[in-house]
Amino acid sequence: MGDSVIKGRGLSPGKATAEVAVCDQLISPLGEISREGFITSGPCENTGITGKILAFKGGRGSTVGSYTFLELKSRNIAPAGLINEAAEQMVVTGAIISDIPMVDRVPLDIFSNGDRISIDGTSGELSISNVTEKKVATVYLVHDGKLLLLKRSESSTSYPGQYSGISGYIEEGETPEETARREMIEECGIYEASLKHLGREIYVRSDGILYEITPMIMETKSNEVKLNEENSNYVWVDSEKLQTYATVPKFKQTFELLIASSQ
Amino acid sequence: MKQLQLTREEERIFDGEMGEAQKIAIRLLSSLGDLGEADRLIPIKSAHISGVSYKNVGEGGIQFLRKISHRVSVPTSLNPLGFDIENGGPVDIDENFHTKQMEIVEIYKKMGVMDSFTCTPYYYYNEPKFGDHISWAESSAIIYVNSLIGARTNRESGPSALASAIIGKTPDHGLHRDDGRKASVVVGVKEPLDYTRFAALGLYLGPKLNRKIPIVKGQKKAKDIDLKAFSAALSATSSIPMFHVDGVTRETELVSDSPEEMSVGKEEIDETIGKNSAQQEPELIAIGCPHLSSEELDYIAKLVKGKKKIGPDLYLFTSREVKANSRAAVKEIEDFGGKVFSDTCMVVSPLSNKYGSTGTNSGKATFYLPLKGYGNQKVAFMGIMDLLRWVIA
Repeated sequence: MGDSVIKGRGLSPGKATAEVAVCDQLISPLGEISREGFITSGPCENTGITGKILAFKGGRGSTVGSYTFLELKSRNIAPAGLINEAAEQMVVTGAIISDIPMVDRVPLDIFSNGDRISIDGTSGELSISNVTEKKVATVYLVHDGKLLLLKRSESSTSYPGQYSGISGYIEEGETPEETARREMIEECGIYEASLKHLGREIYVRSDGILYEITPMIMETKSNEVKLNEENSNYVWVDSEKLQTYATVPKFKQTFELLIASSQ
Repeated sequence: MKQLQLTREEERIFDGEMGEAQKIAIRLLSSLGDLGEADRLIPIKSAHISGVSYKNVGEGGIQFLRKISHRVSVPTSLNPLGFDIENGGPVDIDENFHTKQMEIVEIYKKMGVMDSFTCTPYYYYNEPKFGDHISWAESSAIIYVNSLIGARTNRESGPSALASAIIGKTPDHGLHRDDGRKASVVVGVKEPLDYTRFAALGLYLGPKLNRKIPIVKGQKKAKDIDLKAFSAALSATSSIPMFHVDGVTRETELVSDSPEEMSVGKEEIDETIGKNSAQQEPELIAIGCPHLSSEELDYIAKLVKGKKKIGPDLYLFTSREVKANSRAAVKEIEDFGGKVFSDTCMVVSPLSNKYGSTGTNSGKATFYLPLKGYGNQKVAFMGIMDLLRWVIA
């Protein structure tokens, strides 16, 4: 297995490699991180952060919270690094004045607790050891206001029997759009479609694999679909009906994000 | 991404030509400017600094303050510390805490910072005006001056407000621009709210809104002190820098194009108050987080005047100036048997040196006091009338 590399935003310079402590919560470093280096409230209560890379949603509360990191640093019990989904000034200040590397714009659900990770607070790059990254392109194909759902065959190695868009692994040297067009021909026999919106990458973690998915909306003039063996069924649905289908992880929320960002 | 452009003079500071303290300060501002995607620094009219109590700053903080120590270049006020300097209290402290605390105070004094020691500097020491660009720390004061006064500050950290005070500038982004002050959530609240119920609304909304600026509708009769309670509770539990109140605050026209909508009812407020009240018979009644105004001291004085005191201790917290300007009210409260402290408060003093449980009407104190290794208190969160019932015979 290789390592997965994700691009975040670098906020406080320096590099760190350590076990990640994932806390899916906002944290007020004043009060919610003790002077002994433990989280004192929320889902991560009693988790030790000393020597770990602490990944949490973002900072909240007291503007004095920056000093908590300095205090932990001066007692040699600071976290090795910090990761936020969306950072604000107080935690970033704390990281900078305490010489703790920090990155943000990283979703927390790409980690499993216990992952060993590296961050680079200058470039914003982050890697997860022993997790294989697979790059995927997914097409949300639209015809006459309806979205194409494909039912993945029962013999599929990932997410069998669940509904998805047209998707496939991005091969060496391919752009996501090229992958999309190739898969459209292979999976559905569709040769003509226009790209309406290319979205930002999203990530889905499944044990030792991290899928980096580039989603896009494409539009076709025909509703004719010729399936190959990868899928067992297809259906054109409106957005209301979509909610009733069991889809692959993050499929529906990604579609909503795509729609929102394309407007 | 926009890059911060420094002027030639700022570049020289950045390169260390004006010394180490200014170099640390401008480099911190520059990094935070990049975070906020600012393209320049703008001059500020004032600063307010948090990070005074030794309980919060610690040994690491003292070392940092020594390194960055430099005369401030704009009027700069200071947050409360761990005890009342002139009168002592609210609780006994050990010699080490006293020494370290006074060391911090001395460092700030040398920098030319006002000895205001209050989280409500907007009452006397440091009164920003509508549209002023300022660089303030102290979460409850930031949200108050943005929302109620219409001054413009980002949610500065203690160190970044200090850096701005030294340089006299702040990165131009976020709350300094109209776009950064727009409400993105409309919160409808039909039931009329008093001080404590506004605090409860803040505790309820903070984690839900996270960083979104709300506009509250249905509260046209909200008073400044009610919104001070809301400010403190909302900003303790989130990173929200500002709110609007329809019919009350001054920039209610700043709303994004298609805001989310939500409503909060009596049940949610009742549930928030209930959930945050773990204690039935507190050893201490503590009022004044944020620090009390003269108006609030007068109100409390009227309620206790001539009454006989029983039960738990009653401690009130305010600033030196407010206390000095409310002599009659302070005397009536002290005659009753309560104590009025300045320079400090129940959150930043080491209250657990003496007390295990506290009753308060402050949402902010209700958030911080129960935390293990910080406040270590069992808290009774209730309105002022219910609190005073414990101490009036």
